[in-house]
Amino acid sequence: MSETPGIPAPPEEPSEEQASRIGVDSWVAETERHGRGRGPLWQLARLWEYSPDPVKLLAFVALASTVPFWTNEGDLFVFGLFTLLYAALGLGLNVVVGFAGLLDLGYVAFFGIGAYTYAELSSSQYGIHWPAEATIPIAMAAAALVGVVLGFSARRLLGDYLAIVTLFLGQAFVFFTGVANPTVAGKGLTGGANGIPQLDPLTFFGYQLTSTKQLYFFLLIVVTLLATALYFANQSRTGRAWRALREDPLAAEVMSIPVNRLKILAFVFGAAVAGLCGTIYAAIETAAVSTNFSVSVLIIIYAVVILGGFGSIAGVFVGAIVINCTLEFLEPQNDHPEVKRWLFYGTIVLLIALLKPWFRPVLVLAGTIAFGFVVHAIVAATTAASWTSGVPVSGASWLARWAVIPTGSHGNFNNYLYIGLVVAVVCTASLKGWWRMIALVPTLYLTALVWENMLTQNGGITAFILFGAMLIGLMTVRPQGLLGTARVEIV
Amino acid sequence: MLKRIGALAVTGAVTAAIVAATLGGTASARNNAVAAASINCKKTVTIGVAYPQTGPVATLGANQWNWAKTAMKAWNKNKKNKPKIALLQGDTQLAGTTPQALQVAHQFASNSKIVAVTGPAGSQEMQDTASVWKSASLAPVSGSETRVALTRGTTGTPRETTKGYFFRTVPNDGQQGDNVAAYIHNTLKKNKVEIIDDEEAYSTGLSAQVQADLLKVNAHVTTNHVSQQDTDFSSVIDSIPSGTQVIYIPWQNATQAQQFYTQLHAHGGKEILFGSDGTDVPGTFTGNGSYVSGFPVDFSSTAVKSFAASHGGDPETFGIPSYTSVIVNATAIKTACKAGKGKTTRNAIRKDVPKVQLTTAQSLLGFPVKFLAKNAGKWQGPGDMGGTAAFGIYQIQANGSYKRVG
Amino acid sequence: MHLLLFNIYDQVRSLGWNGAFTLLRDGVVLGSLYSLVALGYTMVYGILKLLNFAHGDVFMVGAFIGFGVLAQLGGPLAPALGLVPLLLVMFAVAMLGSGILGVVIERFAYRPLRNAPRIAPLISALGVVFFLESSVQLITNSTHSEYSTFPVFGPLFTPMFSVAGNPVTVVQVLIVLTAIGLMAALMFLVYRTKLGKAMRATSFDREAASMMGIDTDRVISATFFIGSVLAGAAGVMYGLYLSDTYFFVGFLYGLKAFTAAVVGGIGSIPGAMLGGVLVGVVESFAGGYAGGQWKDIVVFGILILFLLVRPTGLLGSHAIQKV
Repeated sequence: MSETPGIPAPPEEPSEEQASRIGVDSWVAETERHGRGRGPLWQLARLWEYSPDPVKLLAFVALASTVPFWTNEGDLFVFGLFTLLYAALGLGLNVVVGFAGLLDLGYVAFFGIGAYTYAELSSSQYGIHWPAEATIPIAMAAAALVGVVLGFSARRLLGDYLAIVTLFLGQAFVFFTGVANPTVAGKGLTGGANGIPQLDPLTFFGYQLTSTKQLYFFLLIVVTLLATALYFANQSRTGRAWRALREDPLAAEVMSIPVNRLKILAFVFGAAVAGLCGTIYAAIETAAVSTNFSVSVLIIIYAVVILGGFGSIAGVFVGAIVINCTLEFLEPQNDHPEVKRWLFYGTIVLLIALLKPWFRPVLVLAGTIAFGFVVHAIVAATTAASWTSGVPVSGASWLARWAVIPTGSHGNFNNYLYIGLVVAVVCTASLKGWWRMIALVPTLYLTALVWENMLTQNGGITAFILFGAMLIGLMTVRPQGLLGTARVEIV
Repeated sequence: MLKRIGALAVTGAVTAAIVAATLGGTASARNNAVAAASINCKKTVTIGVAYPQTGPVATLGANQWNWAKTAMKAWNKNKKNKPKIALLQGDTQLAGTTPQALQVAHQFASNSKIVAVTGPAGSQEMQDTASVWKSASLAPVSGSETRVALTRGTTGTPRETTKGYFFRTVPNDGQQGDNVAAYIHNTLKKNKVEIIDDEEAYSTGLSAQVQADLLKVNAHVTTNHVSQQDTDFSSVIDSIPSGTQVIYIPWQNATQAQQFYTQLHAHGGKEILFGSDGTDVPGTFTGNGSYVSGFPVDFSSTAVKSFAASHGGDPETFGIPSYTSVIVNATAIKTACKAGKGKTTRNAIRKDVPKVQLTTAQSLLGFPVKFLAKNAGKWQGPGDMGGTAAFGIYQIQANGSYKRVG
Repeated sequence: MHLLLFNIYDQVRSLGWNGAFTLLRDGVVLGSLYSLVALGYTMVYGILKLLNFAHGDVFMVGAFIGFGVLAQLGGPLAPALGLVPLLLVMFAVAMLGSGILGVVIERFAYRPLRNAPRIAPLISALGVVFFLESSVQLITNSTHSEYSTFPVFGPLFTPMFSVAGNPVTVVQVLIVLTAIGLMAALMFLVYRTKLGKAMRATSFDREAASMMGIDTDRVISATFFIGSVLAGAAGVMYGLYLSDTYFFVGFLYGLKAFTAAVVGGIGSIPGAMLGGVLVGVVESFAGGYAGGQWKDIVVFGILILFLLVRPTGLLGSHAIQKV
């Protein structure tokens, strides 16, 4: 921006998407959304939007029930079981954050309280082996009780202070269970860093749930019931009051809505759900270990709720599926390198294809392919053979003729590539119009190089890098989440 | 109208879930099928390597993975070795979260390509995943799990599940603890010892062991704790009782030990540091005059030397037992394949693991590998290595090299 | 519990006044680092009402940039520069690099979210945390970068003077003095310059400031730059003092610095300085008297109690809800 000192340039016109739409309430926003667009994809989206929540739930359950019949046990455990667990956790958090608008960063502690309660009451720790029909209500009550206490003490705290107190409550919980480990009845209460191992399997009236399949279906039932309960809660008087509280606590209070009681109720509701999930989780793990309730788990649960969109029940399911499956899919133990490659390139090509008008993506992709061959030819002609003699991990050797893949170590070549990519992305995003299109070509090529040279060999790290990038990207493009309603600012 | 649809749909959903649950409960589990499937020895077979690729101790994981890759290359280079092996990584995030270890176990178990497992890295991980491995007829061979209870114990202990389904290429904590306590008391002749653990299972176990041993000989022992995320030890250093002669730091993280050494000396402390196998990393823990108990690695062997040369001079000794583990697995696969005439199963391989014997040159550990068939000595049990498998005591020299002193 | 209290009493007695002094000394040094990082949290919060969780990782990246310079110029045995110029170059590059990183983060992760619901930038910040940590892990191959392997720093660890026989080393004095100097510069900037005035106006009321002709986007960028510069300096000092750095250190340090900002009163600049030293000293005494396992829990426990009793922190102004 060029300017004379003292007189700043007028700010840029915000684009239509970014501008806060003053005076538009949520109903108008929703109807506007329905009105737009054509084409088969849009029809499908409309069908989805117009079908009532219970029908969506039915569709989900019908699909989810078939999963165990076409996956192997490992995939069922990793993709099925944990998706459902995250969905259940997301549903609980959705009440606190999505419905009532309370920023609860200690949610994961309630999850932990559930797990540890189960561990104390159904293991050899103190020789108590109560069945699940007794421990689950107790665990939920314990978590809810802590929720009440926290809710009472935090009811005076506004906005961010609530977030801070709850965040540190979560931290304190991790340190208490993992480090402090006070001695009770001659034994460390929480087992310290080792946690409490060897828990009983979930046992209901003598019927044990041990196999992955049994646990999966049990969780499916739990999730279904939870979603149903939330659906009705959301439709009820309390649900409407929560939403009022979320939109404007002050106005809600003026309307004689009992704000404090509703806050505590939301807290307790979320805590109880988290407690329930905790018991199931502990039983799946067969152990309660404090590091499992750390901030990174909290972030994943938040990501689940946010991706789908705050306050949307269906959104939680979408979020759980996308987040859990993406994260796990990228892990190295998931042995499908070719599929990973195709998914990675496919996603990029898809994103590029969204550019308008139609010839831009074609030009960019064609340019990238040509650019790659030129660079490869130059490198091959000017440097030692070892610079281009590498092969991509797992097959696809034709790629080696396009991408520069060195063998052996070439100093910090990989690191320069990666830093170069980050810089290139930043530059591309700052440019406009055709310049951006031109900058896209080397950026895309660099992306391919980084993927082939670094990321394919570090699946676990890659998963977290892409997870972080996805969170940033999603928030910038669609802060309300995939299925959330555009947030409307009322002045 | 909407409400009625809603109620109907919800009832439908719940019913569907319950029906599916009953159906699912009766269907047969599939892991057994993978476990029993026959393995074609003509093709390359895959060994799963479970180690922490991410998380706070990713450094150690990197050591293990680098050595596992070295083992794979060494095995495949020799024309006599058949079948050829490939490795598949699993990220268990040790000290991060256990669900990762469980997820790795489940995915390895269901992956029909995987015929044997190296790792996981932590005893807790093994304990939590034992039943998964067992159901899939896999016997992990770990290069860093030292908890005694995994190989020796009575009913109700982890030992029940791991019997025949767990082996390790490291000596265990019991042996190490006794060695260290004896060395401090008998050889160094010191009796004021501060023991600092890093709060995770490996460290607390070893600390308790050494503390008990030292108390038996009437040494004066004080304790403190740090966490694996600590980088500032000044308050811990400030609170070391005056007159302390030796500080025992059985930590997983050699860099922390080096940091502790640096900060201790910056604070003017003169106590002798004594580390464990986790801190046995030449090139990282280089505190002059400190001691470590570690695997008796043959630093003069060409394999170790060439590894160090290609890794910036750092032999990354923490990963060497993982090398051994891969070789043990590969040898077991070879034996099973020979016996099965080109075909074998996971179960056959698992049963061949305890029969594997490696020479000192093959194992790189400084002693030959031979697994015990029954309990031996005070601490060892089936799954442990017998014979001369023990920890050595090293003193760190001024130039950072390790000299064997006991 | 009474056993623990008994232990603490025992420990206090056995360490005596000398022990208390060393704990205080180490606490103040540590606290100076917290203060510098806390300033970044508090400035950003003051101006954007945003909990910038990514700030701890800017600090971590600063430590790595410093190490990168060191690796290029320091040379384990024969440094290309003398100790003082080497330190100056390390600080300059790390501060500049972190500053740019802070501006880039703001530009791409927070600026598009100015009108989004309050939680969106928070999530975006967490995304940045994951991205930065994993990126550094990927680049450094999960290894530690050890400052202590460079003998050129030897003189830093010699005692400068001693108090009743307890030495205070050069590096400790250096850290405290640098921190004080940077904070003085910051105070000057905020209270005596035009940019500072614009920053204060923006933090008081962003919309009103922008109506008065202040380019708030630029002010916000400047705030991020300054906060990150301080974090970068803290990163280098951290590496020097604690002898190495690792991709994982950002989160816990960030969290503690954040605690410091909250205890001091979030949004208040003098509060962050005070809070930092307080947290450092409390942590040091808790670690020294109650045992290393207690220091973190004591810090966080105090924070929670503090917030429940006095949510605005030591020096924070009372939050008034605007209607």
